[in-house]
Amino acid sequence: MLASLGAELLKLRKRPSTWVLACIWLTVTILLSYALAYALLANAPPPTVPQGTPKAQREQLREQQEAFREEQLEALYPENLVSNLTPGFSNLGPPLALILGALAMGSEYGWATFKTVLTQKPGRYAVFSGKLLALGIVLALLVVLTFAAGAVAGYVITALEGAPVGWPAAGELVRALGAGTLILATWAALGVLLATILRSTALSIGLGLVYSLVLETIILNLPIQNKVFQNVREFFPGQNSNFLANSFSGQSQGGFATPQQPVEASQAALVLLAYTAVCVLLAAFVFHRRDVT
Amino acid sequence: MTEGESPLTPLVETSGLGKRYGSITAVRDLNISVRRGEVYGFLGPNGAGKTTTLRMLLGLIEPSSGAAEVLGQEPGSPQGLQGVGALVESPAFYPYLSGRDNLRVMARYCGVPDERVAEVLGQVELAGRATDKFKKYSLGMKQRLGVAAALLKDPELLILDEPTNGLDPRGMADMRAIIRRVGHGERTVLLSSHLLGEVEQVCDRVGVIHRGELVIEGTVDELRGGGGILVKAEPLEEAQRVAAGLAGVEGAEIEDGMLVLDTDPERAAEINASLVSAGVRVSELRPLARSLEDAFLELTRGETV
Repeated sequence: MLASLGAELLKLRKRPSTWVLACIWLTVTILLSYALAYALLANAPPPTVPQGTPKAQREQLREQQEAFREEQLEALYPENLVSNLTPGFSNLGPPLALILGALAMGSEYGWATFKTVLTQKPGRYAVFSGKLLALGIVLALLVVLTFAAGAVAGYVITALEGAPVGWPAAGELVRALGAGTLILATWAALGVLLATILRSTALSIGLGLVYSLVLETIILNLPIQNKVFQNVREFFPGQNSNFLANSFSGQSQGGFATPQQPVEASQAALVLLAYTAVCVLLAAFVFHRRDVT
Repeated sequence: MTEGESPLTPLVETSGLGKRYGSITAVRDLNISVRRGEVYGFLGPNGAGKTTTLRMLLGLIEPSSGAAEVLGQEPGSPQGLQGVGALVESPAFYPYLSGRDNLRVMARYCGVPDERVAEVLGQVELAGRATDKFKKYSLGMKQRLGVAAALLKDPELLILDEPTNGLDPRGMADMRAIIRRVGHGERTVLLSSHLLGEVEQVCDRVGVIHRGELVIEGTVDELRGGGGILVKAEPLEEAQRVAAGLAGVEGAEIEDGMLVLDTDPERAAEINASLVSAGVRVSELRPLARSLEDAFLELTRGETV
């Protein structure tokens, strides 16, 4: 399997789409989580106060706005890295990871390269596990890079504001890295499964995106008050990605505290793990059994 | 070759091998054996089941019936594939990688050091274009890269599925030269080809497959048959009458203004003397050399390759 892992890593490293996806992810994440938020806060207009408002009240409004701004700025500081960045993994993360997983598997069918690979030496399970492991390593690296980029962005904002620099607790950071990797891995595994079943990149990406961006949203927003339906909704991968990612938000010193999650982070992680395992096992079964034509 | 192993020990052996796709039978009850050190030609018209057979031998598709052994192992097993290099149909590589990087990827899969990549690139005369992206390669270069990948493990068995398919005459000549070069010595080659002339020149033994079934397996000479004698004489009808009455002549037919005798070509002088003494004027008498193509067309009932 290590031989396959080396080959898969070489392919992913040299593949332009891997770098394009990583750049898009990092750019959008830093832009939305830091650059845009800071630009808005730094250029916030003074509060509009009706004519004739007493001076004391005007002063109070100004202080309130300043306090709010300070609170929002603190959310961007490195000490709040985890709570500021982790929610992004359940927003842009799923489609990105799904595309990466579908590309890694589906392209082999599109280019018919499985016949070349499988006539070298490794068995099918070795090829498949090497591919998954390489994908996992790339996703984990992407998560680490995201937090590193977020830390740099937060540090720059702290320096611009002349605020003291603090860092998140190591344990919390590790937990966030694990949560981010798990969310991305779940969706990448779904991409791999779709590509394996459909033996196509485009179709699997299309169907995967329709599911993650459209179906999940529709199902989760259905105005059904039935208790059983609401419980069932809590087992969808998108919903659990949100639960896990948002479980870090409440620990923020500043920013908005999210409302109480209906599902514990540990339960959400278990559900995502189960989805990942099912996708991987199903894909491995289909890949092993099916003829390479 | 291991101790006690005969040169005639088959490296590839199938027994009743078959593949069905629903109601369509692609390969039926196939029994072939490829011996160590030989170049075995696998011939058949389009859709005869050649590629399906080769895919079964490489473990890419599961047989519906029968069994096969490649290097004494189950097809597709890592132990068996260790000694097998293959190029199945058109060469398939990663278009965004260079030729060299494609081979580096394949070298990692089969556990071969990167140094081997340069060697095989040299063997297929692709070293000068090794850094070009695969998607920029011509068809001939792609085929050569496919052969290079097949050679990475320095395999004792090379399986090449129509390696000259789609190439221009120059590309075909180059590929033929490469096949001759890499197929010499103790290496065994299983070559599926459309090119009968090529098979005739290169292969020691040939198996002909038609509609999924093996029609014949043997040496090229065996496939051509015993031959005969071709006679140009006047009057032709008299020559036919005289020749048909000679001992050892099993048939005398007139075809395209020539007399075709079904007999041992060694008897040419004797037959000539008999015809002349019977007053027949013989202007030409030569052994009938049936080409592999004639034999092939006869075996496959005229279907084109």
